[in-house]
Amino acid sequence: MERYLATFGRWLLVPVCLFILGLGLYYLMRILRWDKQQATGLALISPWLFGFIGFTAIPIFYSLYLSFTDFSLFGKEKWVGFGNYIKLFTNDIEFWPSVRITLSYAVFTLPVGVFGSLLVALLINREIRGIRIFRTILYLTAILPDTAVAIIWRQLFNGESGLINFFLSLFGVNKIDWFGNPKYVLPAFVIISVWGIFGTNTIIFLAALKDVSKALYEAAEIDGAGGFKRFIHITIPQISSVILVQVVMSLIGSMQMFTVAQFLRPTTQAGLFMNQLVYTRGFTQLHMGEASAIAWVLFVIILVLTLLVFRTSPAWVHYETEVKDVKGIKNVR
Amino acid sequence: MKRLCFLCTMLLAVAILFTACGTTGTTGTKGTSDTPGTAAPDGKSAAQGKPSEKVEVKLSTWAGSEEAAELQEIIDRLNKSSDTYIITQDSNPADYETRLTTQLSGNAGPDLFWVSASRGAQFAARGVMLDITDRLSKSGKPAANLDDYYDSAFGPFKVNGKIYALPWIMQPVVLYVNQDALDKAGVVIDENWNWDRFMEAAKKLTMDKNGKSLGESGFDKNNIVQWGFTLNGWPPVQMFIWQAGGEVIAEDFSSSPIDTPEALMGFNFYRELLDSGVVPSQQTIRDRGFDQMFRDGQVAMFMGGAADSLDTKVENFKCVVREVPAGPTGIKATFVDLLGMGINSKTKYPDVAFEALVDLAEEIHKWKVMPPRKSIGSAENMQSLHPERKDAFPAIVNSLEYSRPYRFYQDYPDWDTVFWNQLMDPIVNNNGKPEELVPKVKPLLDEALK
Repeated sequence: MERYLATFGRWLLVPVCLFILGLGLYYLMRILRWDKQQATGLALISPWLFGFIGFTAIPIFYSLYLSFTDFSLFGKEKWVGFGNYIKLFTNDIEFWPSVRITLSYAVFTLPVGVFGSLLVALLINREIRGIRIFRTILYLTAILPDTAVAIIWRQLFNGESGLINFFLSLFGVNKIDWFGNPKYVLPAFVIISVWGIFGTNTIIFLAALKDVSKALYEAAEIDGAGGFKRFIHITIPQISSVILVQVVMSLIGSMQMFTVAQFLRPTTQAGLFMNQLVYTRGFTQLHMGEASAIAWVLFVIILVLTLLVFRTSPAWVHYETEVKDVKGIKNVR
Repeated sequence: MKRLCFLCTMLLAVAILFTACGTTGTTGTKGTSDTPGTAAPDGKSAAQGKPSEKVEVKLSTWAGSEEAAELQEIIDRLNKSSDTYIITQDSNPADYETRLTTQLSGNAGPDLFWVSASRGAQFAARGVMLDITDRLSKSGKPAANLDDYYDSAFGPFKVNGKIYALPWIMQPVVLYVNQDALDKAGVVIDENWNWDRFMEAAKKLTMDKNGKSLGESGFDKNNIVQWGFTLNGWPPVQMFIWQAGGEVIAEDFSSSPIDTPEALMGFNFYRELLDSGVVPSQQTIRDRGFDQMFRDGQVAMFMGGAADSLDTKVENFKCVVREVPAGPTGIKATFVDLLGMGINSKTKYPDVAFEALVDLAEEIHKWKVMPPRKSIGSAENMQSLHPERKDAFPAIVNSLEYSRPYRFYQDYPDWDTVFWNQLMDPIVNNNGKPEELVPKVKPLLDEALK
């Protein structure tokens, strides 16, 4: 009972402290002559704000600092400048294979993920009998934990009794050692990524498709546009902003591959995904400085690719609030 | 009214703060005790020799539910007999090392913890574990008597002559054999058991569905029902290299002599086993399960740790324990896995934790196969402690005599990552030959040792 109360007390301390901090912030803002509504708003979001600062912002910047040190999780770290980065780029036999497989995986899974889930969304957007049951069944895949998904795929890729090799054998393909032969590791992971098209992405696309005005389709139909033309000239432009979000989110997600790869453990000759390398360096080899450097390189790669996607977006993303004049120049209403 | 609410909240918060801070830290005491970390090395306080009430000592282990239950029985007995400590067990096999490392790094680690040899070497070199050398020499308890331990038992847990953990198990790799299959094939394991005899036996034991052995005319390699042996990176290639007289890390840690003729002989024998047809393909092993194939009678000889106890777990056939084969020149060597138990260097009660460590080690030595101590580890004694495995102990005890752990050092995982990823993974998965890979990988391994 004594131990329970102590634990309960500590547990209770967190919300109470957050409440006090929020209250203090409110009075501080009022003293600084903030509007009452603004001060209340800030006070109300302060628990999240403090959580974000304490558990996200500070660790992010701390990891940046650590990437310039030889921190090993224990003892005092030593400043090594760009040493970790120089070692990664010039003298690390695992780094470039890791970048290669991570980028290759992203390149192949991005179109599969985005367009696959769009196709599924188009399928379940049809108003047919029992469609809600189909939607529910398809979404079930999204709520399964990654480890369970990995177990299912391991069975499917089983060399002797797996369905995939059985299916291929119907076409005369010999048994493939998916996780033992480095040539097949990437294709195997790309196939596994198909699983993701039935999840949250599909639901988001479905919501976007539902939002497209029926009047546009009717007008196009009157003009004689067929199904494919309606899809290309109405559906795609109308949901292009959602496609942009999906591309960015899928890109980030695919670059952060970890659980399934860690669980399936294919031959290391194919290279480790960058997140796996971060984990191995940090927690197995206790080189947290190097692990932080790899994490920051991964962050920069994701940032650059995301910015590239955003830079190209004016050419293919259409927002409802913007119109094009006769010269094709966009104007925001 | 608002001010009153604010005041009440503040008072409540302060009250909770004091309540919560009343019992903090990893170790609690049920009453007055010594000033943390200042007790005499024998575990006694200046006045009375012991804290006036029992101190809680937290123990972290990777034990699964069954093992944890057995360990709890031991802990309960110790807690009952001790008037200085109460050991509380926190067993969680899921991602144990990452969890423990994070706890210790965040100054929230347990007082005592189980540690693998590799992690033990890392922790010892980084000051994560308490130096127990002096305390061991001053303690009169049997588990603190260093002379009673096997020579190699402290290897990973020793840095610059200082001891940082007590080993609680030494598991030599032994050969589990399907005696029924051996009898059927007419294979006898005797004192001349070496690589040639082993390969010959493995071939005889590799049988197709028509009962023909590998090498016999008409042998159907596409319909094998029993393989002679199995390998998937385990057992480690190091033991074959040792049997050939080679090494993978020099004694002074200056280089990796994997290019010596002896080491190459070990690598080549490993590769030969994989290529000769006596071992299932890696894909088959992955699909059917490594040790499961032995349990199911699909593999006739299996190398595993002495504590795997397959001789008591297999029901479909008579499973017996034998020594692994000797090398071509008769050198006997096998790998031994060492596990230890250390004290958190930041524990508040190092002396009480040490007392708990030694008492617990003593009990675990009587529980586990094999204890790292000569006085407990004799074949006769082990047979009386574990009568269900009486036939296995002669081979296990003999194996312990010539068993060796890896040459662990503070950054051993760096070396091991290169060794496994660049050399062994391609060899095992048939993506490279030892003679081609060794010259490329040796400089990388030497670099990892710097």
